[in-house]
Amino acid sequence: MTTKTSASGPTNRFWAAASQSALLTPVLALFSAFLLGAIIIWLTSGSLLTVWEAYSGLFRGAFLKQRGLTETLVATIPYVFLGLAVAVGFKSGLFNIGVEGQYTIGSVAAAWAGVAFKGLPAIILLPLCLLVGAAGGALWAAIPGYLKAKTGAHEVINTIMMNYVAFRLTEYLVGNLLKDKVSSAIQTVPVSVEAELWTMQSVPQRLENPLNALLVAIVLALVAWIVAREWKARQAARPGLVANPWFARLVGLAFGIVCFFALPPLTRLWWPFTDQYDRLHIGIFLAVGAAFFIWWLLWKTTLGFELRVVGSNANAARYAGISITRNVMLAMIISGALAGLAGTIEVLGVSTCRCLPLFFSSGYGFDSIAISLIAKNSPFGILAASFLFGAMRNGADLMELSSGVSKYIISVIQALGLLFVAAPAIIRWVYRVRSGPHPDEAVPLTKGWGGG
Amino acid sequence: MAENSSPVRSRRLRTNWITLLLVAFGMVAAWVLLNLVIGGKCNQSCIVDTLGQMLRYATPIAFAALCGVVCERAGVVDIGIEGKMLVAAMVAYTVNLFAFQAIKDVVGVESAGNISRWVALFVALVVAVLLSALHAWVSISLRADQIISGTVINILSIGVTGYFYRQYLAENIPPGPGTFPIWKIPFLSEIPVLGPILFQQKPLVYTMLLLVIFINYVLFYTPWGLRTRAVGEHPRAADTLGINVLRTRYLNVLAGGLIAGLGGAWFTLEAVDVFNPLMTNGLGFIGLAAMIFGKWSPFGALMGALIFGLGNSVTSTISIFRPDIPSQFPQMLPYILTIVILTGVVGRATAPAADGSPYEKG
Repeated sequence: MTTKTSASGPTNRFWAAASQSALLTPVLALFSAFLLGAIIIWLTSGSLLTVWEAYSGLFRGAFLKQRGLTETLVATIPYVFLGLAVAVGFKSGLFNIGVEGQYTIGSVAAAWAGVAFKGLPAIILLPLCLLVGAAGGALWAAIPGYLKAKTGAHEVINTIMMNYVAFRLTEYLVGNLLKDKVSSAIQTVPVSVEAELWTMQSVPQRLENPLNALLVAIVLALVAWIVAREWKARQAARPGLVANPWFARLVGLAFGIVCFFALPPLTRLWWPFTDQYDRLHIGIFLAVGAAFFIWWLLWKTTLGFELRVVGSNANAARYAGISITRNVMLAMIISGALAGLAGTIEVLGVSTCRCLPLFFSSGYGFDSIAISLIAKNSPFGILAASFLFGAMRNGADLMELSSGVSKYIISVIQALGLLFVAAPAIIRWVYRVRSGPHPDEAVPLTKGWGGG
Repeated sequence: MAENSSPVRSRRLRTNWITLLLVAFGMVAAWVLLNLVIGGKCNQSCIVDTLGQMLRYATPIAFAALCGVVCERAGVVDIGIEGKMLVAAMVAYTVNLFAFQAIKDVVGVESAGNISRWVALFVALVVAVLLSALHAWVSISLRADQIISGTVINILSIGVTGYFYRQYLAENIPPGPGTFPIWKIPFLSEIPVLGPILFQQKPLVYTMLLLVIFINYVLFYTPWGLRTRAVGEHPRAADTLGINVLRTRYLNVLAGGLIAGLGGAWFTLEAVDVFNPLMTNGLGFIGLAAMIFGKWSPFGALMGALIFGLGNSVTSTISIFRPDIPSQFPQMLPYILTIVILTGVVGRATAPAADGSPYEKG
């Protein structure tokens, strides 16, 4: 059933469904979750004022306080990648519960690459670090993927096992081989300044280097090329220039050249991010880009179609001649690469030491599963859900500070929200909402032990 | 009915023998490895300690695995075991502490400790069953996705335990009555080597061992077990034969909650006398691995749990004798071992056919 709704033009469906029931249930679900959370705070603290203090603190912390909104966006970025990682797995019938391990391996791989290739300019080093981090996560996910495809060993168990191996391995690497001998803290050597993911504030300064400007121009040219190609494919009438087979490529090239010359002076003239303590970094563009890429991959390419067929009905896929082995492997590799990128971006862009400190469980594993499920595996839904989770994660500290309510209440609210999204019957019963055109949205996103 | 169950039973027994052989081989290998690594310094008492510890470490994993067996044989996937254990651990700790404080002046410290521990165990079980009831309601009656429902319970448990820990348990904690004492079984505990390993343990270890036998009996030798397996394999056929599918699933999931509650209580009533957020540390998931390793049979699940237990106890023995080896590598061993065993030797583990799919009557 999931395939049926998603196969036929998700953009049109998205708006059509948004105005009807599809968005109504999640909104009511979240509202109910916050309401129940309020009741819990009220019962445990004995005062309604505390509820107000907690929720207003949460809101102020997430949006209103100094750098609140940008910090929320910083917290959103890894969630987007991890949510997408889980969603790609679900769409292909795999439950990748090991994103946290892949995230860890991705971050340690990036921390290594950023030091090992010191001296290279950003135009090479930055893409290389992202690639190494993604490859680390992909490799870590490919092992359970291969075992699942070849021997049928459950990916749920194997990815969990790989999580623990990843944690121990990282602990060892950070504490021994990659340890920064200079620092008193247990952390890796800081990465080369060229490997850093630029903060938004530093963009004009970075662009003064022509090589950095070239890197940006190349990326933007690629984006322009893809957009032009897709736009062209949708045009019924194609006047002379557009019909030219080189049209898209020329548009990309021209846009890249314009950007290369125009962006450095323009950003010097006017740039909205001036706060030097602002941690927001260009990873936000990568996150949005990743969401678009996964949407395009899953719904606009043959590979994505095959992945979804394998996910929704493995027997049908086998009957249609789609290789299960290949698709299971690919799904795990894509999923792991996304999770690895999340770790990479945290090391290169967020960590204050620009290195990987010895850390304890980030709690990203469950959160990313919840994000993917609340968004019903839709890439753009994941952007929204990640923003919500990022805001809650970011606002939690001020909430705890201003009201004394433990920030763990956030997890309770998230779990309740997920519960109501998963079982919309509760919401419909409570609010007397009639079911929309798709009678029961509670279609199994996951079935038993995955695949099968 | 007996004829129906016989092919299933024979297959199950064969699996168990292979598993048993593997486990025996693994233990010998672990012992050889242990002596190679620490240079033959592990004498008899060291081995007895290691194996006794193996059984203790295996207990919560085995409880989790048994919970999985009971639920999944009836066709309900439960990945919320971890969460249930965490909540049960916190409830057991809290009740133990406050019940002790409430009655210690009335009945004396000694018997107050005894009473409070049993009360704590009981309350922890009740709470775990309530969480299971939530899972049952959402996934059986509302037919929501079972893995989502389990994930909800996991996240909810992390939130609830963390919340209560921060609000009430983080500071100003009065001294508690401590964990269960060791029960030495008369005569049996005097047997050399075997006695200290098997019969000088705390009550939940014995409970676990008896429960394995009991569940194996119920599942494979009683009408109830036959019905459970039928519901897990082909609910429609079972329904046609007059078995109440939903009722069977409900009862199994609730029983699973009871077992997970025992596993959770182990953490704070047997292992240590403190509660920490996230103290279950993934053992619920490892229990699921043990269940799959054991191909959804109670004895197989126990074997899987013992392998993890052995991995943990060998690790701690190595770290005593050879502190120079980075502890991370021995700690990885049980996890890598599981991956290898799941893929290489056991091969395709087939879940009950209807595992994970909601049943709709009609």
